[in-house]
Amino acid sequence: MKESESIVFVVDDDAAVRDSVQRLIASVGLRVLTYGSTREFLNGKRPEAPACLVLDVRLPDASGLELQRELAEANVHIPIIFITGHADVPMSVRAMKAGAVEFLTKPFRGQELLDAIQDALAKDRVAWAQRAQMAELRARYDSLTPREKEVLKLVASGLLNKQIGAELGTSELTVKTQRGRVMEKMGAESLADLVKMSEKLSSSSTTYK
Amino acid sequence: MEKIPSTRQLASTILRFGLAVALVAAALSLTLLLQSVVSTAGFLFFYIAVVVTTWFAGRWPGGLAVVLSALAVAYYFTPPVHSFEVDRQSLPVFIEFAASSVVVGWFSSWRRQAEAELRYARDELQLRVAERTAELSQSNEQLLAEMAERKRAEEAYFEAQAEVARMTRMSAMGALAASISHEVNQPLAAVVTNADACMMWLSREPPNLEEARTAVECIAQQGTRASDVVQHIRAMFTKATPERAKVQLNDVIREVVTLVEGAALRNQVLLQTELAAELPATIGDRVQLEQVIVNLMLNGIEAMSNVADRPRRLVIRSQMRDTGDVLVAVEDLGVGIDPKNEKRIFDAFFTTKAQGMGMGLSISHSIVEAHGGRLWASRNRDYGVTMQFTLPVERENTL
Repeated sequence: MKESESIVFVVDDDAAVRDSVQRLIASVGLRVLTYGSTREFLNGKRPEAPACLVLDVRLPDASGLELQRELAEANVHIPIIFITGHADVPMSVRAMKAGAVEFLTKPFRGQELLDAIQDALAKDRVAWAQRAQMAELRARYDSLTPREKEVLKLVASGLLNKQIGAELGTSELTVKTQRGRVMEKMGAESLADLVKMSEKLSSSSTTYK
Repeated sequence: MEKIPSTRQLASTILRFGLAVALVAAALSLTLLLQSVVSTAGFLFFYIAVVVTTWFAGRWPGGLAVVLSALAVAYYFTPPVHSFEVDRQSLPVFIEFAASSVVVGWFSSWRRQAEAELRYARDELQLRVAERTAELSQSNEQLLAEMAERKRAEEAYFEAQAEVARMTRMSAMGALAASISHEVNQPLAAVVTNADACMMWLSREPPNLEEARTAVECIAQQGTRASDVVQHIRAMFTKATPERAKVQLNDVIREVVTLVEGAALRNQVLLQTELAAELPATIGDRVQLEQVIVNLMLNGIEAMSNVADRPRRLVIRSQMRDTGDVLVAVEDLGVGIDPKNEKRIFDAFFTTKAQGMGMGLSISHSIVEAHGGRLWASRNRDYGVTMQFTLPVERENTL
């Protein structure tokens, strides 16, 4: 995944600050999208890519801290860098506790912001890769027939083919064939690999049975 | 232990009845003695015996005395003599004696009881008076304690009031400071970020001069914006156009004196006014001029709050000057101004008070100057400072 694919969102109501931040970020070759309010940001269409959000705390409609909470509630995981004109300790503690990457007080140095942005993007790239991997795994799992899913579950729980056959009321030979198909569809190279995949699926989803 | 009171009681009973016997015996002897001298002695001594017995020994010994006297009279003085019989002829005399002695005894006993009751009532009265006095002195003490408590509460109230006023001022200042810092910080943030962005664009290979130029232009713009903010704040503090109307300074001073009287009283400062008899009107903003005088007077009062070796006196004076303007002077006997601070007392945010904001004299100074006058401080010969300001008087056609 190339760096230029990453996006930095900037939300600040002060046009001068917003533009200067955009100019700074653009100077290192990152894509920047700016917004004047939290509403604008929420309503706007965001490209699907690893990203981070540079967010002013004091905003006219809803504060940056509120936006942070709203995003968390909507299950949008995007690393946030707060910038504020008057940082007080409780505010920064609240922001950091809610998962902010960095909390910068205006006026800040350009390098501080750029470093924070690189950190945030690296974090999001990892998360992005994990999510992509998970989606792939999920798609493979969904391609299994109901019977194959059952077989996968029993294999993963450590039963032998013979025991699985007894459990499902089929012959050992049938189980062996189905098991081969499961391995193939899931792209598993070994039994251990398959068990690992099964664990990942069960930890990420409650619908996995 | 319980026997002792009963023994004593018995002894007292014996003594009381013994008294009856003894007195009757004495009465008998005296009557017999008298009879040997005069032929008919009468029964006076027996009456006395009955009365005295009843008086000192009570009703029952009195009764015994009556019975014994009757027996003695029947035996010795009614025929037949030396017999307890009483013949028909002397019966009326005997009955008269018996009845009389009963009546006399009863009367004595009644008097005695009345006396006792009276004494009891008197004792009771004394007791009540004592109790009442004790109650009164107690409630008096309570009243004094309550008064002291009230005084304390009043002092606490004044202190709390001053504290609230200070807190309000400070929180207003805090809010103002936060707002100012935000207003100034925004352009500053843009300046710093643009400068850094400019450096970044210039250090690219090849440098992007167009972006760098834009960034520098923005820096200039935002610098101007910051300075505008600062100017705006300054304008907010010094109201540009004060109200202009005729103002009688003596009236303003009198009004201010009533305003600061409370503060003077609390600090045990004597207020003294020496106002010029006839003072021409000046032109200006009455409220602002009031503010100046209040400020100077409160400063003077505060300067004397720790003075103990001389009277705490604040004089406010108005006079017409030869130069044709009006002078108002506020003279205190306080701690004075440290020479090293003399030049700074009119600076904003300069203060020597623990809880001061350093705005009072600065604002007063700018108000007086806006009125075309002058405010200055001068040291008194002995103690304290005189703060004074001049204002031009109203000329014809100036309004």
